[in-house]
Amino acid sequence: MNPAFLKKVKRNDRLARWVITIGGMAIIFSVIFILILIARVSLPLFLSPEKALRADFQLEQAQAQQVATLGVDEYLETGYLVDRTGRFDFFTVADGSPLDSVAPAGEDTQRRLLTVDSYGRLNHALIWDDGSISIVQVKFFPFFDAQNNNQRSIRHRVEVLGEFPAPESGMPVRSLARSDGEERQVRVDLFADGHLQATLQQREESFLGDVEVTEETHTLSRKSAGAVTALTMSHNGNQLYIATDAGEIERWDLSDSEDPVLLEVVHAFADQRKITALDLVFGDVSLIVGDARGELTTWFPVRDEEGVWKLTRIHQLPGHNAAIDYVSPTLHDKSVLSRADGRVQISHMTSERLLLTIDPPGEKIATYALSTRGNGLITLSESGRVDSWELDIPHPEISAKTLFGKVWYEGYAEPSWSWQSSSGTDDYEPKLSLTPLIFGTLKGTFYAMLFALPLAIFGAIYTSQFARPRFKGIIKPAVEVMAAIPTVIIGFLAALWLAPLIERSLGSLFLSMILVPAALMISIALWQAARKIDPLKRVERGFEFLAVAPVLVMAVAIASVLGSGVESWLFAGDLKQWLFTETGNRYDQRNCIIIAFAMGFAVIPIIFTIAEDSLSNVPPSLRAASLALGASRWQTVWRVILPSASPGIFAGTMIGFGRAVGETMIVLMATGNTAIMDLSIFNGMRPLSANIAVEIPEAPVDGSLYRTLFLSAVILFVMTFVVNTIAEVVRQRLRAKYGRF
Amino acid sequence: MKKLPTRVKYWRIGEPMVWLSGAALTTTLLTAIVLLIVIMVNGLGVFWPSDIQLLELKDGSRIAGTLTRTEPTADKSGLRRQYKIANRDLYGLDFRWIDEAQIAHEEIPANMLTLERMEYGDFYGTLKSLGHAGQQDPATFAQLESALAVVKADLDGLKELEEKLTAASYRMEKLRLKTLKLDYNKAPADNPERLEIESEKEQIKAEFADLLEVQLSRTAKVREATAVFVSGDGREKEVVLADIVRAYTPNQMSVTEKILFYAGKLVELFIGEPRESNTEGGLFPAIFGTVMLIFVMSLFSFPLGVIAAIYLREYAKEGLLVRIVRIAVNNLAGIPSIVYGIFGLGFFIYGIGHSIDTLFFPERLPTPTFGTGGLLWASLTLALLTVPVVIVSTEEALGAIPREMREGSYALGSTKFQTLVRILLPMASPGIMTGLILAMARAAGEVAPLMITGVVKLAPALPIDGNFPFLHLDRKFMHLGFHIYDIGFQSPNVEAAKPMVFVTTLLLVLIVLVMSSVAIRLRNKMKKRYTFGTF
Repeated sequence: MNPAFLKKVKRNDRLARWVITIGGMAIIFSVIFILILIARVSLPLFLSPEKALRADFQLEQAQAQQVATLGVDEYLETGYLVDRTGRFDFFTVADGSPLDSVAPAGEDTQRRLLTVDSYGRLNHALIWDDGSISIVQVKFFPFFDAQNNNQRSIRHRVEVLGEFPAPESGMPVRSLARSDGEERQVRVDLFADGHLQATLQQREESFLGDVEVTEETHTLSRKSAGAVTALTMSHNGNQLYIATDAGEIERWDLSDSEDPVLLEVVHAFADQRKITALDLVFGDVSLIVGDARGELTTWFPVRDEEGVWKLTRIHQLPGHNAAIDYVSPTLHDKSVLSRADGRVQISHMTSERLLLTIDPPGEKIATYALSTRGNGLITLSESGRVDSWELDIPHPEISAKTLFGKVWYEGYAEPSWSWQSSSGTDDYEPKLSLTPLIFGTLKGTFYAMLFALPLAIFGAIYTSQFARPRFKGIIKPAVEVMAAIPTVIIGFLAALWLAPLIERSLGSLFLSMILVPAALMISIALWQAARKIDPLKRVERGFEFLAVAPVLVMAVAIASVLGSGVESWLFAGDLKQWLFTETGNRYDQRNCIIIAFAMGFAVIPIIFTIAEDSLSNVPPSLRAASLALGASRWQTVWRVILPSASPGIFAGTMIGFGRAVGETMIVLMATGNTAIMDLSIFNGMRPLSANIAVEIPEAPVDGSLYRTLFLSAVILFVMTFVVNTIAEVVRQRLRAKYGRF
Repeated sequence: MKKLPTRVKYWRIGEPMVWLSGAALTTTLLTAIVLLIVIMVNGLGVFWPSDIQLLELKDGSRIAGTLTRTEPTADKSGLRRQYKIANRDLYGLDFRWIDEAQIAHEEIPANMLTLERMEYGDFYGTLKSLGHAGQQDPATFAQLESALAVVKADLDGLKELEEKLTAASYRMEKLRLKTLKLDYNKAPADNPERLEIESEKEQIKAEFADLLEVQLSRTAKVREATAVFVSGDGREKEVVLADIVRAYTPNQMSVTEKILFYAGKLVELFIGEPRESNTEGGLFPAIFGTVMLIFVMSLFSFPLGVIAAIYLREYAKEGLLVRIVRIAVNNLAGIPSIVYGIFGLGFFIYGIGHSIDTLFFPERLPTPTFGTGGLLWASLTLALLTVPVVIVSTEEALGAIPREMREGSYALGSTKFQTLVRILLPMASPGIMTGLILAMARAAGEVAPLMITGVVKLAPALPIDGNFPFLHLDRKFMHLGFHIYDIGFQSPNVEAAKPMVFVTTLLLVLIVLVMSSVAIRLRNKMKKRYTFGTF
């Protein structure tokens, strides 16, 4: 033979071996790869947040002592310091080089600043030593220079939102002021003798353009015993919270300018500890309370049994070792910053997670300010060092507890598992609990298996053991073709044809559940009796399933005719209404009965095929031996064949279970997709798979929702992986035992 | 021997249990049959031109409509009928329930006609007059038909213009992308290419403006032809002839005419474009999208699956590794399709697609080219999903070939590869075909992963067209399965959309059932061919 040809053949053979081996290995890796990829996308949910020191510089001692507060833009480029004369000195964050300096409240060298109360988006209430207050807002905005290649720079502007004159009744020791910049200004003062005064100013513009200003001053008569230690007010100035050194919190409603109302006094802590810091979480619903023992808690009003709103302690956040002297919210989510003994902690209210601790070694933080997007923090330490930190807190609201446990969300009456990923408002908090979805998946699967398992297994037993071989050759392919029916079609028929049908004739459904078995038992008994007569005795066996068909059809037909009559006789004409009033079960049109039928129908062929295969492959000698020993054909099946084939049936069940868990289109169309935790068969649910299909097109890439959906895909993957692996191992063992099938 | 009581013996022997298991099988088969019957009954009748009845109610009002359903009334005292009354623009509703007790008189007038319109669904009524530019003259149905034929010819002429306009805007878009590329490369303003583009742009703009003007004036002229129709309750409605897709008088049609009409509608279903947010007209883009998807998917999954199966059966040494691979393959088959979908989104679209965009089309960013759902990504996702099907069938087919075949081949001196290509693969080909067909059937019916990897309710362009590079794998596409979900669940008027959903369902069921029965028959034949060796 030609050696060149031989060489070529051998080379081809080697090449093929390599290509095929690599191709084969690629398949294994793709399974692992899929899991790794989806897990990798969801992993950042559980990573710790990170901080990085971007820049720092030292202020001179004299200047440092003059600083009242500070702030930074959301690009961490420009910062500012407010000194005791009310000047805003802007500087470059990177090196501390000064930019410009403005005095928005006027160049009055006489008055000095007592304190600055910062709130909201870089709003500062400047409280002067003559008792007057100016509210100033700093605005940063990016500017794109068209001349210079669209270079971005950050520009700033300082605006005065409101001015408050000094109160007539003397010099306050502590003041709070809020202005919405247009209509309403609220000022609250605490005087040295302990009495509180609120000044409410309402500006009204009539349609002619005349401006009318009404001002009301009220003394707020406190009911709490202790001395006031902390005050806070909502952005619009409608809610006022007062805390005392005896652990009391007063809740005031200032929305009516003529009549401020004390809503309640809460004894917050049994040990009457001193409350040292108060503020409101973003959204102005939850109250942050920091106390002398370093504990940090959040509170919001919850309606009790009598329908009265009571301020209730909701979350306990990670605390400090020393008394908390300052707390503040973030401005884009429900996180909380707290300062005690010169260190700052960032924690999230709902997940109760400690996100970050800012604790520069050897320094004590005197003042800090967070950028509006929460991505940067600027701190001034007691020694006069200014640090700017870059914060990376991608998913503060996610923790194992919020994903799987019961969480008390803001505005809810009690802790709950809930899934609600989006809403219309900005300060809305997404609720991403996977528990109701996993519950929904398992519930749907349970009812589907309840319907499918008996039908599939007994059908397989009949086909493989009792039916004539001629029928077997038709039934098996027919069931396999059934498996190919697209689930979108099953789901569509279930939702738009079956669901309304069952809703209309619920009575008939329940009636047929009684009638069908009864009719079957009676007809079988009758037939058994009739078979004793001679000519019928010789009727061939193996046609039972055809003989049963008319009985089944008749029973269902009778049930559908009688259904409405029974419904009006027993349940006053409306079974759904009766269910609701008598048992408290609401009837949804798209419920578990529908899912049981539809998804059951989808998994029957899978279980049937595998079960039938394993039953057929039991060696015929076993069967022959059993029959020869005098067992009846059912006894043979039940005692001999079924035990031998049980691993295969188990494998089929597992694979069917896996299919039901991951089924998407049927549940998407026929469940109603409400994420509730209710075992009732008359309700719908929202399974993991449908949830992914519904939400992923709307989820922003790399956001919390996106990653949570990938996490739910991981859960689905793992659920099916475990089940399938068990089934496969069982099948391989079975194969080794009985040969190939 | 102890004598057992009869009752106990009766159950021990278990004959009733045999019957009950037979009943389980019957129930399963009956459910499947009921499902098919429901689809058939609802799907087959949709295009049949049913008679329009004119009802006079006891309160004196008159209604024209086609009977869709009859059922007992809520209080079970009599029957009520559901009529499709059409004329959505006049009544707001397509369907109406009427108690039989209310009907005073019913007839089937010969002059009733059905108009299929571009908007507002069908119209039932009688022809009053034909008109042109405000002038109305009484007319007969024959005159209407000839007027419609004239308008249709004009509209076909307009279609050519429209194609030219589309071509012009396509060229314009190409130029825009070129400019973007130049901008991205920071080409100076006096770059010759840029100047060329600018002049070409001007030219196309002028051309476009001319075409548009011609089109507008001609459209306006075509739309001058109108006709006035009278609805069943006597209201008049002027309809522009150009908006009428088809006009016919069902009450005068003979059975043959109706069959021909039905056939015509079927042809429209296969080659027509959808109308009225997919609830009327044809399914051509959806059928085309499905076929393209299956085709591209097979290109990937077929070779991959066959190679993997050959590796497992012929090359890998039986051992722990092969067992793990088998488990992995079967796991791959059991992973929920939505997980594949989310994998496709995360890996193909946001991973590979985004990298392609940053490498090859950086000038178009942030508008994604491959970084968004499209035919290629959907096909790849489905290929991954169907690979196990091909692997399992191919392995089965290879395993069924008797050992002697291989040994004979080796004995004659052929290499492993030669044996594989010349002996084993030809013998296993029916099995491999089975796997491929089953995979295709699965792909035709799968919807969930497509929903997040590029299927849309209405694709602006087909994935293949006359513009370079002819095959546009980055385009979004339509799919029969998604069509069912979309018009059945997302359409504003579900009741009016139902007929179309059932037709689509029927079509999809037929495709899938035919494919899978062929595949299963092939497989069973092959099993019979080789099983004699093992027993």
